[in-house]
Amino acid sequence: MLKTLIDAFALISTWEVIIAMFAASVYGLVIGSLPGLSATMATALLVPVTFYLSPIAAIATIVAASTMAIFSGDIPGALLRIPGTPASAAYADEAYAMTRKGEAELALGAGVWFSAVGGIAGTLSLMILAPPLAEIALSFSTFEYFWLALLGLMCATLVARSSPVKAIAGMFLGLLVSCIGIENPGGVPRFTFGITDLFGGIEPIPALVGVFAVAQVMRAMLTPEPPPIPKRKFGSIMAGQWMLTKKYHWQMTRGNIIGIIIGVLPGAGADMAAWVSYAMSKRFSKEPEKFGTGHVEGLVEAGASNNASIASGWVPSLLFGIPGDTIAAIAIGVLYMKGLNPGPTLFTEKASSMYAIYLMFIIANILMIPLGIVMIRLASYVLRAPRSSIMPVIMLCCAVGSFAIGNNMFGVVTVATFGIIGYVMEENGYPVAAMVLGIVMGTMIEQSFVTSLIKSDGSILPFVERPIAAILAAMAIGALIWPLLVWVWRKIRGTAPPAASAR
Amino acid sequence: MRLPDRVTGLSLVGLGAAAAYGGWLLPPVPGQPVGPNVFPLVIGTGLALCGLAIAFGIGHSFEEEEELIPVEGDQPKQAPTGRFYGLRALLPPALLLFYVGVADRLGFIITAALIVFVTSTALGARWKLSLPLAVLAPIGVHLIFSKLLRVPLPAGLLPMPW
Repeated sequence: MLKTLIDAFALISTWEVIIAMFAASVYGLVIGSLPGLSATMATALLVPVTFYLSPIAAIATIVAASTMAIFSGDIPGALLRIPGTPASAAYADEAYAMTRKGEAELALGAGVWFSAVGGIAGTLSLMILAPPLAEIALSFSTFEYFWLALLGLMCATLVARSSPVKAIAGMFLGLLVSCIGIENPGGVPRFTFGITDLFGGIEPIPALVGVFAVAQVMRAMLTPEPPPIPKRKFGSIMAGQWMLTKKYHWQMTRGNIIGIIIGVLPGAGADMAAWVSYAMSKRFSKEPEKFGTGHVEGLVEAGASNNASIASGWVPSLLFGIPGDTIAAIAIGVLYMKGLNPGPTLFTEKASSMYAIYLMFIIANILMIPLGIVMIRLASYVLRAPRSSIMPVIMLCCAVGSFAIGNNMFGVVTVATFGIIGYVMEENGYPVAAMVLGIVMGTMIEQSFVTSLIKSDGSILPFVERPIAAILAAMAIGALIWPLLVWVWRKIRGTAPPAASAR
Repeated sequence: MRLPDRVTGLSLVGLGAAAAYGGWLLPPVPGQPVGPNVFPLVIGTGLALCGLAIAFGIGHSFEEEEELIPVEGDQPKQAPTGRFYGLRALLPPALLLFYVGVADRLGFIITAALIVFVTSTALGARWKLSLPLAVLAPIGVHLIFSKLLRVPLPAGLLPMPW
């Protein structure tokens, strides 16, 4: 244990890791704070860079950039009422109301402080939960893996803030994309239409960059520029945070726990955690009437929650290769690339690398406090950069980054195609995150599904014979037919739907 | 580009049916009941069913209308609308395909400069901003990706001195 910890320290205390982490932090803070550029997009554009780094430095950049971007999405939320990332959308109104009351420092300070606390709590949960779960996961067969992956996809469709049927359709689209190529049980070219470039299949990363970055530039072409931020002087940012921690320690803990639980669920991530926690905070508050008028309580709970889910989202990623959210999906891609293939044995064979990941999470969350304060003070300048100067650079990064993944131009074609697909899907209410998770998990689902079918010789029974498999199956099928049940229920009752609960 | 649910749903039905049929045609693995054809069949069928549900409006009531965030102070100018205005959204992917087509001949710097200039102008920048940006951004990106990360970017007509 102690030796592994020392090894882990040795792994991360190289100049490469330190510089990579610092640079990625600054990058994550800036991208996250720009409205419309999400944390997922920041992480996806970073992947080509990680190719050229050592494994630990590569993971360090992903960890640092995603952690920082989730926090810094709070900044434009509080100052402009435009959330920088979807995870901040839940409480952007509240934070903006505080700014209008002249409490911008308190709102942003709470963002930094409780994000850091949440991140550290999430990391602790990762350290505590992952090894025992790895023990259980060792006895998993393809049946369990199949249901687990299916459950992950189903969760991803349930949390989408749109029609679940459309989310499931998005998921199927992603799975269909993953069918392309020769990497299938028969090794035959499937859906390649004779195009050689398609034989290798569609890489998830260019698809992600297209769906999140190119589609965003496309939207920017049609939407008016957001208003410039008013100049303001900030007082002390951390003042009063300790008092808030003491006053709202119960809310903070609850936010952490909810964030951790949602993060561990395969398929649900930071956005969901923030919405649920904000709703819970309002529901259980002693003074719910103050919510929406610039009350810090919900900010504390939701801020603590979304960052906690970032770290705990790595639990299913590291154990099963099933991403907790789109950021974790990118992280999995990087892990595979760097020879740290996700799986329960990772915790025994590469224990020092795992500890290095924990340490990096903790360092990133501590680093977030000083860097976050600097970022808040500089926000008035960064947010003044006009969109017409940022979007062209994003375009270049899309082109070069997707080229760099395989050093071939087909990556750029993929990015452009998925930009269009992502744009059309979003415009029509199909959540793209469900499709992305489908693409990432498609091969794994198919493999475990077909292997299980071969093992069971066409019978369905072995799929639900083992106890854990049966439980997972019940959960996955429940999630699948849930929208149908609710629909039927409402038709029978003939009543108006209750105001979307728990959101 | 907001299409009626009926259109998107029915096109999903078509896509799903095509995928299932395509899967059906794939050769099976000799001596095994399941092969590469099973998964596309399942996915295609599922997609077609979802498409049907969407076309007939099942589950539509779950959709939450996106809340519009009103802005304090002066409202932003109403975006000009014309018949071809919506096509502007296709500019970014078109530019990427342009990059694929000509980057090898023109080289990275020139192609990238064109892309930056067009994107920036389309987003409403004056030439005072877009011209310097078109010169500096490609050089910066080239420096990072080609020099630091050793990505073989095409040199073309204007190779960089490093």
